[in-house]
Amino acid sequence: MRRGGLGGVDTKGRGSQINATQSLRTRLSILTWPEPKGGPHRAICHYCDTVHVADPIAEGTRANCVLCGATLFQNRPASLVRVTSFSLTALLLMIVVHTAPFVDMDAAGLHTELTLPGAARALIDEGTPLVGLGVALFTIITPLILAGGLFYVCAPLIFGRLAPGAMFVTRWMSRSEPWNMIEVFLLGVLVSLLKLGKVADLHFGIGFWAFAGLMVCMAAAVAAIDKRELWDRLEVAKGQ
Amino acid sequence: MSKVNGKEVPRGLELGLAGCHVCEKVSPVAEVHCPRCGTHLHMRKPDSITRTMALLIAASVMYVPANLLPILTSRELGISTESTIIAGMVEFWNTGSYPIAIVIFTASILIPLLKIVALLWLCAAAKGLVPHSAKLLGKVYWVTELLGRWSMVDIFVVAILVAMVQLGNYMIITPGPGALAFSGVVMLTMFAAMSFDPKLLWDQLEREEEMPTSQPLPKSE
Repeated sequence: MRRGGLGGVDTKGRGSQINATQSLRTRLSILTWPEPKGGPHRAICHYCDTVHVADPIAEGTRANCVLCGATLFQNRPASLVRVTSFSLTALLLMIVVHTAPFVDMDAAGLHTELTLPGAARALIDEGTPLVGLGVALFTIITPLILAGGLFYVCAPLIFGRLAPGAMFVTRWMSRSEPWNMIEVFLLGVLVSLLKLGKVADLHFGIGFWAFAGLMVCMAAAVAAIDKRELWDRLEVAKGQ
Repeated sequence: MSKVNGKEVPRGLELGLAGCHVCEKVSPVAEVHCPRCGTHLHMRKPDSITRTMALLIAASVMYVPANLLPILTSRELGISTESTIIAGMVEFWNTGSYPIAIVIFTASILIPLLKIVALLWLCAAAKGLVPHSAKLLGKVYWVTELLGRWSMVDIFVVAILVAMVQLGNYMIITPGPGALAFSGVVMLTMFAAMSFDPKLLWDQLEREEEMPTSQPLPKSE
């Protein structure tokens, strides 16, 4: 209903603003969790084996098991956009983490630096190659598979495309997820610094701060999308 | 059939339905491979208790050298000192760094031990050897899986110290054989936790509920 005058302009102005945000929302809501063909879709609780009918749930909510209360799946808001941006940031930070030193140490007139690959290489060089490979696997390779894989799979999914080998990559991501130990390594850095701080002069490098940022981005990227949603999206993209 | 508020809820075992471990799609277990991602489907993790027990025994055996052998050797002005995990922790405690001593104690000694005990308890409960609440033990399992990785912190400390303390004649730190044994313990307990299937706890609970009445349950359709 048109009222004319100043009020009309006002509402029009506000209206266009609402339209702008709405159009952004609709663009994001094109990315709502799609439902794969077939059905009824079901979900089985990982803990107690109870079968549920998996109806779509609103963004930002989670579905719990009726019997044991464990989380069945969650619908994370703006999942694809968030995974893509956090995993891309994590990949960029990884470049910094691998090139810039974590800590500089001055002791006994000597200067040493700690880098992430340096920690793994030191163990390999000093006679425990297996442990060194483990450290490299948990702090370098697994995070790279996770962040790289999430970006490789989710960025094309924003446009409804399926990256070549996306299913294969996603399978390996879920296998490597428990072995990502970035946050544990950060705790290790702090403990060793407190150990060395008494005998040497220590300075934090850019690598350390980049690593702290990497830890946050990895956690955010992994938590930004539910496994079930990612696979539903892959299935829908494949069918197109 | 389990009951929630008097209403019966079906279990995957009764309907012959299995949830894929990788992509979570629910399919009839008779299809053998998940139609969506190709992963092998199974009702329960294969040989869950046997595998978990085998890995736990290996982890407990490794736990002894992990604590007795030195995880690092430091050579200061020609004098070598070997240090075990416990010695490293005691040193932090004696020099007044109580918070770090507690962190090391929790991550390196308490968590691996509690993990082994918790998984043994879970296996015994799933076999029906100890009375249990499946809901509570499900939570215990969840915590066990979540905390496992943090035990690696001591190995990372060794890696960092070895990388940084290479000061020629003044001081050199090299890793010891305990480091290999300790990372073995952590990885074995992680694999043990992964091979345990918490659904077995509920299976056992159902068997116990069926036994005293010994009446045939109404068939699901």
